Amino acid sequence: MDYIPITDIERNEMLKRIGISSIDELVKEFKPALKRKLNLSIPKSEFEIMRHMQDLAKKNIILKYFVGAGSYNHYIPSAVNHLLMRGEFSTGYTPYQAEMNQGTLQAIYEFQSFICLLTGMDVANASLYDGASALSEAALLSSSHNGRKRVFVQEGLHPQYSEVLKTYCDGADLELTNEIDDKTACVITQNPDFYGNIENPWELSERAHKVGALFITCVVEPTSLALLKAPASYGTDIVVGEGQSFGIPISFGGPYLGFIAVKDFLLKKIPGRICGMTTDSKGNEGFVLTFQAREQHIRRERATSNITTNQGLMALAATIYLALMGRSGLTTAAKLSYSRAHLLHDKLKNIGFEPLNKKPFYNEFLLRAPKPSDEIISILSEKGILGGLELGDDKILICCTETNTIQDIESYVSIIGETL
Amino acid sequence: MKLIFEYDEQNSGHLSDEDISITLPKDLTRTNLPLPNVSEIDVIRHYTNLSKKNFGVDVGFYPLGSCTMKYNPKINEDVARLEGFRDLHPFSPMDCIQGSLQLMWELEQQLKEITGMDVFSLQPAAGAQGELLGIMISKAYFKERNEKRTKAIIPDSAHGTNPATAAMCKHDTIVIPSDSRGNMDLQKFKQSLSSDVAVVMLTNPNTLGLFEENILDICDLAHKNGTLTYCDGANMNALFGITRPGDQGFDMIHLNLHKSFSTPHGGGGPGAGVLGVKSFLSDYLPTPRVVKQESKYILNNTKGKSVGRIRSFYGNFGMLVRAYSYILAWGTNIRKVSEYAVLNANYLLTLLKDVYELPYDRTCAHEFVISSKKFGEKSALNIAKRLMDYGFHPPTVYFPLIVNEALMIEPTETESKETLDKFALTLRVISDEIKENPELVRGAPYTTPIGRLDEVTAARKPNLKWIHPQKNHDNENLQI
Repeated sequence: MDYIPITDIERNEMLKRIGISSIDELVKEFKPALKRKLNLSIPKSEFEIMRHMQDLAKKNIILKYFVGAGSYNHYIPSAVNHLLMRGEFSTGYTPYQAEMNQGTLQAIYEFQSFICLLTGMDVANASLYDGASALSEAALLSSSHNGRKRVFVQEGLHPQYSEVLKTYCDGADLELTNEIDDKTACVITQNPDFYGNIENPWELSERAHKVGALFITCVVEPTSLALLKAPASYGTDIVVGEGQSFGIPISFGGPYLGFIAVKDFLLKKIPGRICGMTTDSKGNEGFVLTFQAREQHIRRERATSNITTNQGLMALAATIYLALMGRSGLTTAAKLSYSRAHLLHDKLKNIGFEPLNKKPFYNEFLLRAPKPSDEIISILSEKGILGGLELGDDKILICCTETNTIQDIESYVSIIGETL
Repeated sequence: MKLIFEYDEQNSGHLSDEDISITLPKDLTRTNLPLPNVSEIDVIRHYTNLSKKNFGVDVGFYPLGSCTMKYNPKINEDVARLEGFRDLHPFSPMDCIQGSLQLMWELEQQLKEITGMDVFSLQPAAGAQGELLGIMISKAYFKERNEKRTKAIIPDSAHGTNPATAAMCKHDTIVIPSDSRGNMDLQKFKQSLSSDVAVVMLTNPNTLGLFEENILDICDLAHKNGTLTYCDGANMNALFGITRPGDQGFDMIHLNLHKSFSTPHGGGGPGAGVLGVKSFLSDYLPTPRVVKQESKYILNNTKGKSVGRIRSFYGNFGMLVRAYSYILAWGTNIRKVSEYAVLNANYLLTLLKDVYELPYDRTCAHEFVISSKKFGEKSALNIAKRLMDYGFHPPTVYFPLIVNEALMIEPTETESKETLDKFALTLRVISDEIKENPELVRGAPYTTPIGRLDEVTAARKPNLKWIHPQKNHDNENLQI
């Protein structure tokens, strides 16, 4: 394939107009010159690309997933992808020029509104990279707000989120601590936690506020918000999370969608793009990127973060998903996820698995297998089922969504039942 | 246009209310979910109509400097949506993810060859995250060597992300001015190279669209001082097959796959900001890393000196698929991309430089910066807005900061001569309009869905979300 429209005749006309005879003259100061062709494959036609990519894709094996752990296999209505494929959305850049990008800007405004409605917070931004880096940005935000350098993490945070948080903290000279005291910048809890437990973190948020720390709630499975209390209601100052559950394919881990929402008093510290409604000279309502004085292209080394490109199209996917599902659809998807998970939990308990959740759970739960967990996972995978995530010591983290049918659940249980 | 929240209550159609019993304690559950219910047809119309108020590369010429708004091939959208990629769970067993691992491994080999680096991490989600990872690696490297280096040298033409990234890693920034040819001033650079300088961050070609003429000396001097060299690879589109940042002396580079490698910008992401390093820094890259063992691919999780993860899972995988597919299309011919990107930029510059001022009169790379200073204050903004009336997206304006009334134009290689001619003619027409009818240009745009918006009020009286009209701004009551 060749994506260059200029013909050889046109190229010669252009060179003549510039006043030179070859393209080489334009690049002669690019040093050191590479004196050979790049060692890449021979160019492929579109047909050859498709064939090659199909062959690669076929080397991946898709199973029936009973695993979540930060990547949730919810059903995505067809309409989401059809709208995302519109080039007016997908091939635009960050909407710096508001007059030409009202579509993207209004969609961001709606996204911010959806996130605020779900979390109960005052202000949301246009998106961050993923849940883990959003959590890290929240920790940096806390430190810049109160000048403190210690970050407390409640047990039960997704291990990869812990790793990313540690990476960011190391970079920014923050330290992770086991104490909540007057040096603590923020207190972080994941709800529901990595093992599926649903918390009522009132007490923890009060402990944080008593010592002047900010309280951060991290939501990794946001369909849970259809059923659970909004994080603002238990004293959360910053909600961050992963929006992948909202209409974004699991796609081997990305692209996903980080979100952040804060109380009003943190508005000017929030990282990333924010869209606001305003008017033009004739009084027509429209949307612009606002509070840009926080951002790197204006503030440079004094910016609240270095983020620029975020996850725009994924935020649009989540907005369209939430619009399509609506209150009724999202609630039902959440209830189905809950009830399928509880059905499987109870059936596995009946055949000898040991329940390990000490608190109510939503759509993920932890069991100890009655025989080595690697055997169980491998027996299931031979039958086309990914039975859960092994966490060592024969513990398995299992997840259901509305896409795990009752039939699938029964076959999961009967495959294991036969081996016990 | 009305908001999605302002439709009358409808039957939404997707999983309509079912009676499913939930036995969660009351103190954990909400009583009210304040979302709208809208029918599928109205959702489709709502977002289709919004898309019509938007402008993308698929709509028209988008010469936004520094952003490489090239054509995004449609085949790449199809291959990223193949079931084997789209529906693959990141926690699948190793024998179920061989296709993805092979793709990532091969992409790494391609990027190494293109840039002259030794190892790549595909984890960073965007250029700024790649930069952040680069400075974290620099920090970890010097910590390991027990060297206290806390400064970053950055030219005054740099992207804002460079100083912002250095600041996130608690580095102080030393800003070096540009010289009369638009290069980083070599003498001032030399004087700034003290023993506490960790890293010099350069964009090459720089944001003026000019190749750093002293690049070999700069990297050499930095290395003699024990300082690392970082390349902001935003402008890689100029260099494919012509010269390699690794051969220029850079120790690290991030690439924006959404710029040079044609993955769509998506209205502000998702991108991918993969980071390449020389082998002496490879131990610091995030884990896990894809390793080839005979005919199998595995994920190596050995932490060692690694700075740690910077993102969950394996990065923006879907964007890696698109970039890989793009490199397959070009293969050994990829030099043609950069040759024509440079040709188009120089051709357009030739058509404009008698009307607009050229602050540094040199052959440009894949983009160039001209100034409209002679047309007065705010003229770059007015020209940008007026271009909209002629159906063009404006160039980047007021950047780089060192050029007054800057218009930064990057045509890319995927534009035709006809488009370039028309764009140049339009900019010439607008320059006449400014002289003959300045009010006309000051009032632009006239043909867009909305006029110039009041940004001051947007910041002073922030309206950042929809609020239910009946709830009288009392959001708390709405929630619980």
